[in-house]
Amino acid sequence: MKNPTKKKRNLFTQKICRFCSDKIQFIDFLDIKLLKPLISERGKIVPSRISGNCARHQRQMTEAIKRARSIALLPFSEEH
Amino acid sequence: MRNYQSILILKPDLDEAQVEQSIEKITSIISKFGGAILKLDNWGKKRLAYRVKKNKFGYYLNIYHTCEQGNVPALEREYQLYDLIIKYLVIRLEERDIERVMSKAAEAAEKAESEAKESVTAEKTEGAAKEGVVAEKTE
Ligand SMILES: [Zn+2]
Repeated sequence: MKNPTKKKRNLFTQKICRFCSDKIQFIDFLDIKLLKPLISERGKIVPSRISGNCARHQRQMTEAIKRARSIALLPFSEEH
Repeated sequence: MRNYQSILILKPDLDEAQVEQSIEKITSIISKFGGAILKLDNWGKKRLAYRVKKNKFGYYLNIYHTCEQGNVPALEREYQLYDLIIKYLVIRLEERDIERVMSKAAEAAEKAESEAKESVTAEKTEGAAKEGVVAEKTE
């Protein structure tokens, strides 16, 4: 029996990469306004399966977020 | 000779003069290792995303500079020893990265210039309008 609570995701609904649609070539790690929506409330990086970013941009963005973290522009985790 | 970007966080309790002094000191440190500053941005006091050496705020400096290739570890060591710097990050930039930064800066400068001109002309017209009002009143 199929689980009625689990809806089958439509494979044809494609999410759009926000960097591709904005035609952003280079993700600057100092551009906090750009990166802020891509981390969760706990400070985690949102996976591409949720944000819909393409692999190339997800990779660039991850690097940018990690750099921003190391210079205290973005949090590693929630502030305690 | 390669291009680098140094982001430095200075202690938050400095005043303007002390920040100026530390910028001079940092300039001398960079030139000591055979480098020159290409561009320096002072972002001012910003809130840190997490506490760094018990500080919640910090003065951000973003410096684009050149440096002799083997000297970067020594440069980082010098940053570490300078007591006003609480955190630093040195990144190597490729040729196209520095070109992008410089062209962006030139664009921004151009924009600021044209805006300044616009504001001047706007003021002039405003002043003229005010004069007109005054003239009307006196009549
Ligand atoms: Zn993309």
